[in-house]
Amino acid sequence: MSGFRHNSAPATRAVLREQIRAVRVENVRIALVVAGLLLFFIGLVVDEVILEGGDFPFHPEHWVLPAMAGLLLPFALWRGEERRGAGFFWSLPVDRRQHALLRVAAGWVWLMVVVAVFVLALLALTLVSGGQILGERTLRLLTLPLETPGGPLPPGGVREVPWTMTPLLWLAPFTGATGAYLVVSTLALGLKRPLRWLAGTFVLMLLIAVTGDFANSRRVAQVPARLLDAVMNGRWGWDALITARTESLKTEGLLPTGESVVVWRALPDLGDWAIATALWIGLGLVAVWLAASRHRENRGA
Amino acid sequence: MRRSPDGAAVETSGLSKRYGRTVALEDVALQVPEGSFYVLVGENGAGKSSLLEILMNLERAQSGTATILGLDSVEQGARARAQVGYIPEHHRQLPRWMKCGDLLRHVARYHPAWDEAYADQLVDRFGLKLDRRAGSQSKGEARRLQFALALAHRPPLLLLDEPTDGLDPLIRSRTMSLLVEHLADSPTTVLVSTHRVQELDSLADHIGVLQEGRLVAQMSRDDLLRTVRRYRLEVPEGWQPPPDLRAAEQWRASTGRAMQATLIGEEEVVVARVTASDATVVDTTTLSLEEAAVALLAEAAR
Repeated sequence: MSGFRHNSAPATRAVLREQIRAVRVENVRIALVVAGLLLFFIGLVVDEVILEGGDFPFHPEHWVLPAMAGLLLPFALWRGEERRGAGFFWSLPVDRRQHALLRVAAGWVWLMVVVAVFVLALLALTLVSGGQILGERTLRLLTLPLETPGGPLPPGGVREVPWTMTPLLWLAPFTGATGAYLVVSTLALGLKRPLRWLAGTFVLMLLIAVTGDFANSRRVAQVPARLLDAVMNGRWGWDALITARTESLKTEGLLPTGESVVVWRALPDLGDWAIATALWIGLGLVAVWLAASRHRENRGA
Repeated sequence: MRRSPDGAAVETSGLSKRYGRTVALEDVALQVPEGSFYVLVGENGAGKSSLLEILMNLERAQSGTATILGLDSVEQGARARAQVGYIPEHHRQLPRWMKCGDLLRHVARYHPAWDEAYADQLVDRFGLKLDRRAGSQSKGEARRLQFALALAHRPPLLLLDEPTDGLDPLIRSRTMSLLVEHLADSPTTVLVSTHRVQELDSLADHIGVLQEGRLVAQMSRDDLLRTVRRYRLEVPEGWQPPPDLRAAEQWRASTGRAMQATLIGEEEVVVARVTASDATVVDTTTLSLEEAAVALLAEAAR
């Protein structure tokens, strides 16, 4: 080393603060669009439910929307940024991997703000409409398998059971959005062309299914569908993360009167939700770290 | 190749970079003395931008090392970049969605040494419109913004890649004046790659010549102007130039038996070789910096 005059690099906390500010500044227009959509949704609920004298339920089924925000935010966050090569972001005096992770963290902070606003809006709608927040719901639980979804319910195969949403599931919109955000952040940060990879995966699955069909192998042909079902609707799958399986456990069946009703194959399980959350967020964190590591200072040429 | 003394602000050793089969840099050993104004010249695609990007650790070299003010550009990349005001080759590298004012504030947060008053002065002098989005600026406006961003934290090192590219003559002249003022106020080492050597004639004190990724020459301005000169000779009938004379261009017949060419080497050595070949040196002319640089490039290309 020598006696050169050195300027100091910024502190990590200062960079995080600045990234949080920068994400806000860069995404003002998008935030306005999101706020507009939220107002539209509230207006719709007020018009369709509250003014009609109904109440608005505070159910985990609504948590799909925050997860959608988590899926889309990384694209907004990294848009216009040259993630590979000599982009402006990488020319700033911060360790490259740390910088990428700080940007992801800054985006997450805003995601949580958006989700909190959404949850509060739902809470307000429920309270204003006289709905119950932690009230008991009566669910129709299938005790015998349904032969065809949407078909006639098996006689004596349904019983009504009370179910109360535990307040712990109020965390689901936050954790679900976080999981979704981490998965897409990994793609946005780790891959040069994430959409091409997604399209390529889709084509590969299609090829496997078609090849299975040609070879008359039902097992091979069903691999993509089974894989997708496991990832999306499995015990610890995507739906368990996002809505505690309140979507994937539901189906429809016909009463003897011909009326179509919602029936549940099983009741949502808090343990499954907790495991799914730990799994998706844990893997998401590792994946984001690996994706950010592709940009580290001491990366390959 | 002539080396600068110890204490180089920028130093590379054995730096090589390939893009597929294309060689961008090959075994480059750059030495930019502290406090110098070093001009890097070379044709398009000679590797100038790649070299600056490697110094910023925006690109990785396949082999070799680079240091900036004693800091390894890879192992201490963040600290090394904190020492640099960088203007990249392309003006489009700014965050498109930020307004200029926000972008200045943004970069300021990354540089604890940011001089707010000086930044305001630069904004004023460059005529920057703070409420315009960086992505909607013309090439010249974006370049001026990049200059303000690079200078306002008074970095000890400026890495400028074709800095006046896209500026109209008036703004170019104003920008050069600002750069001169900046250098007078702040002790700075400058490494600049350019095609317009004449613009930097009054500032440059060192020059490096990149030819197809190889640093073929590197010397001080004085050495360059002393060793690359135009010679006019009186030659006998049927005279052939001796092979040990390094000519940067084809010999040209002048009036009568006179011939002229740009020759490279210490004057006394050149004169001795000319005399030994039965020719006589009539006179020698000192070249401008740009002419001398072009001569070196031409010689390397032969």
